Amino acid sequence: MPEGPLLQFTGLVKRYGNVTAVDGVSAAISQGELVSFVGPSGCGKTTLLRMLGGFIRPDSGRIVLEGTDITAEPPNRRATAMVFQNYALFPHMYVADNIGYALRIRRRPRAEVARRVEELLRVVRLEGLGSRRPDQLSGGQQQRVALARALSLHPKVLLLDEPLSNLDANLRIMMRAEIKRLQRELQLTVVYVTHDQEEAMTISDRIAVMRAGRIQQVGTPSEIYERPATEFIAQFVGVVNFLEGEVVASGEAGAATVRTALGPLALRKSLAPLAAGDRVRLVIRPEAIRLAPPEEIAGPNRVLGKVESAMYTGALVRYGVDAGGSGLTVDLPDPRHARTYGEGDRVTLILPPDAHVLLSDEAT
Amino acid sequence: MAVRAVTLGEGLGERLRALANAYLMSALALVMISALLVFLVYPVVLVLYKSFEGDSGLTLRNYARFFSTPYYYRSLTNSLILATTTTLLTVAIGFGFAYMVTRGPRLIRMPFRLVALLPLVAPPYIFGIALIILGGRRGLFNQVFGTDLSLYGWPGVIFAQVVSFLPLCYLMIENVLTSLDQNLEDSASDLGAGQVQVLRTVTLPLIAPGLLRASLLVFILSIADFANPALLGGRLPFLAPDAFLMVVGAEYNLRMAAVLCVFLVVPSIVIFLVHHYCLAGKTYTTITGRSGAVEARRMTRLLQVPFTLLCVVMCGAILLPFGVVLMGAFTELVGINNALTLDHFKTSMGIRSVMTSLQVAIYAGVLTAIFGVLLAYVLVRGRVPGRSIVEFLALSGFAIPGTVVGIGYILAFNQPPIYLTGTLWIIVFSMVFRYMPVALEAGISKLAQIDISIEEASADLGASFLTTFRRVVLPLMITAFMAGLVYTFMTSMISLSAVIFLVSPGLDLASVYIFQLAQAGHLGIASAISVQMIGVVFLCLTVLWVIARRTGFRVIGTGKA
Repeated sequence: MPEGPLLQFTGLVKRYGNVTAVDGVSAAISQGELVSFVGPSGCGKTTLLRMLGGFIRPDSGRIVLEGTDITAEPPNRRATAMVFQNYALFPHMYVADNIGYALRIRRRPRAEVARRVEELLRVVRLEGLGSRRPDQLSGGQQQRVALARALSLHPKVLLLDEPLSNLDANLRIMMRAEIKRLQRELQLTVVYVTHDQEEAMTISDRIAVMRAGRIQQVGTPSEIYERPATEFIAQFVGVVNFLEGEVVASGEAGAATVRTALGPLALRKSLAPLAAGDRVRLVIRPEAIRLAPPEEIAGPNRVLGKVESAMYTGALVRYGVDAGGSGLTVDLPDPRHARTYGEGDRVTLILPPDAHVLLSDEAT
Repeated sequence: MAVRAVTLGEGLGERLRALANAYLMSALALVMISALLVFLVYPVVLVLYKSFEGDSGLTLRNYARFFSTPYYYRSLTNSLILATTTTLLTVAIGFGFAYMVTRGPRLIRMPFRLVALLPLVAPPYIFGIALIILGGRRGLFNQVFGTDLSLYGWPGVIFAQVVSFLPLCYLMIENVLTSLDQNLEDSASDLGAGQVQVLRTVTLPLIAPGLLRASLLVFILSIADFANPALLGGRLPFLAPDAFLMVVGAEYNLRMAAVLCVFLVVPSIVIFLVHHYCLAGKTYTTITGRSGAVEARRMTRLLQVPFTLLCVVMCGAILLPFGVVLMGAFTELVGINNALTLDHFKTSMGIRSVMTSLQVAIYAGVLTAIFGVLLAYVLVRGRVPGRSIVEFLALSGFAIPGTVVGIGYILAFNQPPIYLTGTLWIIVFSMVFRYMPVALEAGISKLAQIDISIEEASADLGASFLTTFRRVVLPLMITAFMAGLVYTFMTSMISLSAVIFLVSPGLDLASVYIFQLAQAGHLGIASAISVQMIGVVFLCLTVLWVIARRTGFRVIGTGKA
């Protein structure tokens, strides 16, 4: 096997009239990796996936699979397999015939087809359902059939287009684990498209966040969550507080003091090299802020605030806190074992010294 | 269900209103069911009765004579052979067009579609007229090449029928193909199937019910067709024209005509039953989660070359007759004296008959649409007892050949209590009850989409039944109304088989007049009136289209045939 990425695409562009659906997207995906493309609807992620599958021909750019340029190859000559959002099971065929379709098209011996179908039914845990019609199966079962059918030819890359969006919430979480299990067990290389950031976070080795036809950031789930490259990403992958500020002093290893509306904030380290005078925007997740009684105000990065709202969700309490005119969202995890506050209570906010910093000029 | 707060006084008023509504609904149902019985069932039953009528009481002798006389029973076998051949060819060609238009290169989609639909605006027998001009014994082809070929007989009739029925067949198949989830074909190709394999293993099996439906429709149309076999059949006997000749011709035999009519009706009704009960609900074509980025695939040569060839040849076959008729209208005598002339337009009979046709078609269109939509409403919302029987009766109008309706109307309305012969209304009614199924079906399917809670909300707010119907139901059903109107209008303009029995001196319809002229060999004048008729239909369609554009209603393509 050649070194380097299994699947690589560079500068992919697709225009529809004067709308650019995909605007110069490049990425490389390694063998055995699950990479998600997430973004709001209309960001071009499905168009991108359909280009990888061969259903849409890019206006420019190249797709290379195992060192071979497949940009111009039709879907039936690519070693990719797609699971469609609506599964696209053939309604006029039994489940077994659906799964064995690709093998029959290739005129494999009947016994081999039957054996492989049995094997695949076992892999997706649908033993004994081969003689059903697709419309006799539940949504989750149909999803499994679609997966089995896509896996029948041992594709080099599995393409999943919003595979869980037609399932209800609990089933979605189950199938998510199932897909991850299959991917691990069979060492699958998967390109996964979803609009659900949580789904992407839990399932992916790496995530590419797309917006308006471009990739804004590629990284592991924790990189994307903790160190989002842009304000858009920070908001897309979770609830976030932004604090505007100006660097007033910078020290060693990225340490800095930032003047904000809440007062001066000491940062222990930041990824970006900061200099005095830089305009910055701090990204602070709600669970990174801690609350303390108002009398514990002494100490660094502490400010007084007043609880404006408290929302109990079971796993956490989400507070809206007003601090000197700025509204902050604060999550208090495991409320059973922590001191909770009510609306109108005065509190001390303890801001983290390791907030992620965006320079203002890149914060779009 | 909406829960209503009921106080004593309010409750009484409301109950009274509900009672009034129920009465109104019942009265409406009663009127419409009676109309169906009088204008659809009664004439057909009379024809049936006539076929068993002997000099004294009922007899089977007429049928015995039918089966013992080769000329008679050959008309049955010929009609069946014709219908089968026409059906196979039309569906194959219709599929070819529909496949190219829905899957082919973007550039050719619009032109192919327009040409496939073009015969809709023309009376179907203009293809007959064109064929006579081109390929008749003294036609252009034989004049130019000095040959003595004849298009009369099988080739002419089949060709003319295929072209005439192509638009409806094409529309049905196109509809099935566009509503087929594209992901299914994509999925097959993703799994390694080439385009021919996708077509064979996925597309065709999935649209099979739709193809069957289209086949049944064409079969009914073909067997009932009167004009093309009459004009081009030569000496071959066919059911519809023979029945006509036995009513108006030298060989006057009303009972034998009735027997032929029975054989016209039986296959159509059988097919209608099959369609109604066996095919109902059988479909794979539901659009689910249609992906936004569906675009034209590159078609393989293996498919593109034969399909394109087929379409191009057919386009020629459709366009050529239009050209020929246009030429025929403006030349002295095509092939013999090619001088340009306007003489054929000089007869005032021509434009007068076109105007009569227009008048009749407008009456029929409006009445049919009102009747169909109202009946749909009463059937769906009114909880009429025996709804399925009434619905079946009303829809079966489509399956009854015009020839049968024509003869039935002569038998039924030529004497009191309902004497209509010689009036405009006998013609209008014959159309209303035959073409209503389109409005009815459109109305029923539209109503199925309209949640009854919308009506209940209106009633809750104090609106009476009539107000609710007018303000809430009608606006929502306007598409069904328009579909019924447009379909009936267009079909009525060019319809021939029933009305040819019902016209009277001074009440000439263009379709009948053109047919008579063509049969008598006055091809120039026949062409000229055809051209005027196409012009009028085109004009009306344009007006409707503009109205539709302005108001946002889809007019063409909403109804099913």
